[in-house]
Amino acid sequence: MATTTTETVRLTIDGVPVTVPKGTLVIEAARQMGVMIPHFCYHPKLKPDANCRMCLVEIERMPKLQTSCSTPVAEGMVVHTATTVVNEAHKSVLEFILANHPLDCPVCDQGGRCDLQDFSHEYTPTTSRFLEVKRVFPKEYFSALIETQMNRCVQCLRCVRYCDEVMDVKALAPSGRGTMTEIKHFTTHQLDCEFCGGCVQICPVGAITSRLDLYEFRPWMLKRADTVCTYCGDGCHITIQTKGNDLIEVNSAHGAGRNNGDLCARGFFGYHATTHPDRLQSPLLRRNGELVPATWEEALEFVAETCIALKLKHGPDAFAGLIASRCTNEDLYVFQKFMRLVIGTNRIDGSARYGHINGVRALRRVQGTHRWTVAFEDIVGAEVLLLVGTNITETNPITGLKVKEAVKKYNATLLTIEALVPAIGTISNIANLSAHHFSVHPERFGNVVLGLIKAVVEGGLVAQTLTQRAPAYVEAISQTLRAIPWETLESVTGATSQALMEAARAFVAARRAVVLVGQGVLRTPGGFGVATNLLDLLLLTGKHDRPGCGLAPLAEENNDQGAVEMGALAEFLPGPSDLDDRAARERLAGLWKEELPQRPGATLMQILGDARAGNVKALFVVGENPIGSLPRAAQAKEALERLELLVCQELFLTDTARLAHVVLPACSYAEKDGTFTNTEGHVQAVRHAIDPIGESRPDWEILSALSVLMGYPIEYGDAKEILKEIRNLIPGYGLLGPAPATPRSDEAVVERYLREGYAEDVGARYQLTGAGSFDMAQPATSSAESDRRDAGKVKDGLQLTLVVGQTLFHSGKLSTRAKGLMEVQNAGSLGLNPSDADRIGVTDGDRVRLVNQAGEMTTSVRRLDRVPEGMAVFPEHFDEEARRLLTVSVDPVTQVPYCKSAKVRIERL
Amino acid sequence: MAMKFKAWLKTITFYEILVGMKATLKHLLHYRPITLQYPHEKRTLPDSYRGMLALLRYDDGTEKCVGCDLCEAACPSRVIRVISSEVPGEPTKRYAKEYYMDMTRCLFCGLCVDACPVDALGMTREYEWAVYDKRQLLLSKPQLLAIGDRSFPVREKRLELQHPNVAFFNVAFKFMPPKES
Amino acid sequence: MPTYEKILLKNMEMPGYTGLLADYERVGGYQALRKVLGKIAPADVTAMVTKSGLRGRGGAGFPTGVKWGFLPKDYTGPKYLCCNADESEPGTFKDRQLIERDPHQMLEGIAIACYAIGAETAYIYIRGEFSLGARILERALAEARAAGYVGTNVLRTGVNIDIWLHRGAGAYICGEETALLESLEGKRGLPRVKPPFPATHGLYSKPTVVNNVETLANLPYIVNRGPEWFASIGSPPKSTGTRVFCVSGHIKRPGNYEVPMGITFRELIFEHAGGMRSQKPLKAIIPGGASAAFFTPQHLDVKLDFESVAQAGSMLGSGGVTVMEEGTSMVWAALRLMEFFYHESCGKCSPCREGSSWLVQTLRRIINRRGRMEDLETLTDLCKNIAGRTVCAFGDAEIAPVLSTLQYWRDEYEELIRAAEPSGAAELVMPARH
Repeated sequence: MATTTTETVRLTIDGVPVTVPKGTLVIEAARQMGVMIPHFCYHPKLKPDANCRMCLVEIERMPKLQTSCSTPVAEGMVVHTATTVVNEAHKSVLEFILANHPLDCPVCDQGGRCDLQDFSHEYTPTTSRFLEVKRVFPKEYFSALIETQMNRCVQCLRCVRYCDEVMDVKALAPSGRGTMTEIKHFTTHQLDCEFCGGCVQICPVGAITSRLDLYEFRPWMLKRADTVCTYCGDGCHITIQTKGNDLIEVNSAHGAGRNNGDLCARGFFGYHATTHPDRLQSPLLRRNGELVPATWEEALEFVAETCIALKLKHGPDAFAGLIASRCTNEDLYVFQKFMRLVIGTNRIDGSARYGHINGVRALRRVQGTHRWTVAFEDIVGAEVLLLVGTNITETNPITGLKVKEAVKKYNATLLTIEALVPAIGTISNIANLSAHHFSVHPERFGNVVLGLIKAVVEGGLVAQTLTQRAPAYVEAISQTLRAIPWETLESVTGATSQALMEAARAFVAARRAVVLVGQGVLRTPGGFGVATNLLDLLLLTGKHDRPGCGLAPLAEENNDQGAVEMGALAEFLPGPSDLDDRAARERLAGLWKEELPQRPGATLMQILGDARAGNVKALFVVGENPIGSLPRAAQAKEALERLELLVCQELFLTDTARLAHVVLPACSYAEKDGTFTNTEGHVQAVRHAIDPIGESRPDWEILSALSVLMGYPIEYGDAKEILKEIRNLIPGYGLLGPAPATPRSDEAVVERYLREGYAEDVGARYQLTGAGSFDMAQPATSSAESDRRDAGKVKDGLQLTLVVGQTLFHSGKLSTRAKGLMEVQNAGSLGLNPSDADRIGVTDGDRVRLVNQAGEMTTSVRRLDRVPEGMAVFPEHFDEEARRLLTVSVDPVTQVPYCKSAKVRIERL
Repeated sequence: MAMKFKAWLKTITFYEILVGMKATLKHLLHYRPITLQYPHEKRTLPDSYRGMLALLRYDDGTEKCVGCDLCEAACPSRVIRVISSEVPGEPTKRYAKEYYMDMTRCLFCGLCVDACPVDALGMTREYEWAVYDKRQLLLSKPQLLAIGDRSFPVREKRLELQHPNVAFFNVAFKFMPPKES
Repeated sequence: MPTYEKILLKNMEMPGYTGLLADYERVGGYQALRKVLGKIAPADVTAMVTKSGLRGRGGAGFPTGVKWGFLPKDYTGPKYLCCNADESEPGTFKDRQLIERDPHQMLEGIAIACYAIGAETAYIYIRGEFSLGARILERALAEARAAGYVGTNVLRTGVNIDIWLHRGAGAYICGEETALLESLEGKRGLPRVKPPFPATHGLYSKPTVVNNVETLANLPYIVNRGPEWFASIGSPPKSTGTRVFCVSGHIKRPGNYEVPMGITFRELIFEHAGGMRSQKPLKAIIPGGASAAFFTPQHLDVKLDFESVAQAGSMLGSGGVTVMEEGTSMVWAALRLMEFFYHESCGKCSPCREGSSWLVQTLRRIINRRGRMEDLETLTDLCKNIAGRTVCAFGDAEIAPVLSTLQYWRDEYEELIRAAEPSGAAELVMPARH
């Protein structure tokens, strides 16, 4: 990846000459020319271990048979893979492997797709010479999700190596010696790991299997649908396997999709969410204050009639719409078209507003793109990676794998600005791999970024070309930064100026540098400013236009990026182009053959405010759940209760849907076709795996039917037709290529930014945030020492910052319906640093009370080493109570509601 | 010449017709009834007669079927449907939670019996399965077990030496301990 | 009985020699180190060792100087020397004596080797069971460090040689050099795939030399008395120097005997070790530790050097000579060794892992009189299938006892099988869990 070698080697395999790149293994070279050498322990993702000895081949001028999985090709090598000697060797090795194998294929879930089965059919006689007793391991479970049958194990250690080399979790290890080697996890209790399912996927036999679908299927019964995971912005390829209309399992083949076959717990075990028994089966209509089942005709006619009446009475701007980014691009496109043409308003918004919009707006402002200028390949190939405010393992696990690959395999230098502290835990911690780690309070990420920029500016690391091109810009930044003395910076970040300087030097020295900015920044106050500052950092170091360099804001929901590009947001038209962009409006009007509404859009918080004030009378909500997402302080419920018409298109009866006048059952991603655009801007196909549950229909179909009833038909035959229309609008959109062609930054926009664009808020952006308000930056102060001595005696509790965030095992509220994920995590618990926990005298499972002015909650405690002192983390997926404590503040520029943290007092119950 | 004469002779004596009628004429002369008075008389079945299918049990009453679905895969006319699952309370043991045979489609080819790795399927000598309602021919697991119980009263002994922790097959089949007398 | 000049065992056999630094210095210890440090160029030391013809005493007998020469020449990063003191071969106990009785001799050797290869750090990987040896070495290391023979700026020459002791945890496989390195790195002791060889990617992926205790202990004498002197001992040109043979089994005086290479088994057993312990004649010899093929009395006149023993179909290995008298069951002997190998097979490679358990179970069956004639064919076949198909030499080692006993004493196997009860299979033996 990092360097593409053009050096090739010529060799002969089975008499056929082949030319392959230098360093290729013989087994890979053979595979390239269509010769399959049997193997168990070899896997292209893993370093060769050569322990199964199955892949022996004859190489001329070598004394013994060689393992093709560990022998790199050499010039002029002559390889024989099918001589008598080689076949005898395969036979004998298989005989050994089968000696202790229980041959319980009929009851093994791998039966039918098992490497051992295939090779035995090919190489061994049906009778065995093994007359002795087979060794027997007692049955052992890893966990409620993963089950092991060690009698079937061929000890290829693929699972162990995957867990270490790819996932960096190291949850598995071989234990015992010789034939009694078994794969185990480390503690006596159940396996506690990332549950990525990698061991299940990579096991060549049936030794490690998923318990979710144990014994429910035979491989040949399954129908497959290649689609895209719905849980995070990474956009992983998944293959949903179904039997009838039941979801049986999910996997992802090596080499497939942007994830290269790697999945996380959500992708691998979270697929049951869509077939949860609570799924809405039919439309619900409010009659006498109760939501009762109705037919589609009744429900749609009611909506259409009420809409027409309200529109006549109050005009189109009494309407508003909210759409979740979990919808497909087609849904998003039809939704905004419906709102803009049928209703006639721009007042639409979506869940990208919760944070992703900050990154997109920063990119548009500074470099004129709405997408990353890098792709996953650039992350893997980067020399330096700067991660800001992203607990990447938990929020975007597969992007995290790319970072891990870059660091572990290609020795990239990792810089992290994170609240996390490096710690050994049951899940991998990106801070452990970091070369320059700055552990700061979540609201102070921006300060460390300032520190880095200050180090760049004052260390003379500013790119020469930039100083010549925009001296005023450089001067303005250095002047503002000069006003912040190093001492203050050191005291608010807890990082020394030397450390910052070293990190800055490492960043500047790299030829390819990628900056990943996560929801930790984008969802906290000042997120827009920090994202812009990071672009300043790239500009100052002269990297913003270099290939393989760029800023990459990580999307939280699977189609946040698509929502931006489909224009399903207050400030964008499809494209995206700005709402007041005359050329774009004309183009769109020409295509839609209809004038676009003139009046400005409204963001989420504005819509809620207007609803509260009685200005918004009707609201369309597609998959969005403001009551469930925003804290009580946002008064979403009060706003929605005042509406005269609330239409919800939903999978489940959410908090918002409960208030609705009409609830329309929508299809989940597993039941419809379409496309998702992942965080790096790759448009990928979503394909239906099962028939719609109950009477549910795809969102675009519902909107299309409504448009017909309202007298303005927006009709499509299928999702492909919508995509075709989108492609007319955005050329090349959704042409499903192997990798996205990343956009280049628009030099005109950069030029404008460097000349005057920066000036409007440079003073505001280059200010320290949160100075003096927390003590978290100095964890081991003397007062902390004395606190520790008085463990358990703190009477009036401890002041902490509560951060409500994402965990690895869930995504939004949707995944809490997945039975597999609920086995791993089924309730929220407060993650506390052990020393904080000691200070109030609590251990795992103890109940605590959190209090602040807004309210209080009680919960149980979990001690987590990776949580820094002075901070408490709570999963947002179970935040029913926690939302009471949170306050909400709105970004002045991007209107993002910041509602993920609060200061609380914690006390033991 | 002689050949021509022979052919001419065959033509004028209707020789071919006589050959064809040979069996008829024989039975005309030696009359013996072949028709069985079916409900009152029954035919002796050959030893390898393939009749109604049945599920079998071991001598201790446990069902043999492990729910491996191989019969379903082997069946050429999609008679069998197996819904397999874990044995409740005995994790990692597989069994057929539900087992259906749609006998209206069955060809009695016996491929399922051949496919069964644990000899849980047997072909009985029952054939009197005419019913008024076709739905009665959709047989469930208890029905199939009942057929097995009445047709195979002598049950196979359950394999010994099974480690309690091993799902099913972990036995060195060739070296069974000698049976204790 | 001919007497030979002893080299390695000379000091410790002096009356009153304690192995302390003072004693060692009195007999001329650390003079060789003084002689080389800063005075002879490292490359010349290597050349000296190559010239002496010193070969590895651990088992494979690879020329030491050549091994050192494999280190990358223009490499400037850290290099390591590992002293393999994980002496676990059944029937071998020479390193233990060298460590316990004269630790400084080997420390001096390590220091010289470090200087020669340019390593600043050396690790002694000592077998976990050698707790006395580990304590003695720790004490010796402390003495040497205090006296300035080990540590930074050794003997004020600016050379840094740090030696650390690492105790193993009782796995035979950790005597294999790459498994030793893995174990030293803190991982599970499994052999690595070669290439790359330790000379380029060894400990922590840095160039590393792994040498046996006895090999290193020879170095001070080669330096002191010159490579020509060393090369003249033994049976030049291939097998030079003396070797410490560990003679055990049914003989009068078991123990370590240092003799020049090239004397015959007859001389070693009947003259040095005092002959058989009883009137029974000799039946079998294991010439070089448990992984060497058995010899019969007709091999008594084979010379004890690498080539002669290899030519006769076995290997000199670690020098552990085990003697068995008439009346010993060779099947039983093979089973005993096989059980050891079964227990110690690390489980990495399928042929060795499954093969060792298969072999041991079949041998148990035969010895319990439940064998069948076909088993002998199977045994031979299995051994051939294991040979050469594993990552390390363990696979080749574990089949030696079975194959050689099958070759020379097949009648004993057949006798046991003929004595088998006709009913055949009966009680099944479960493999033990360890």
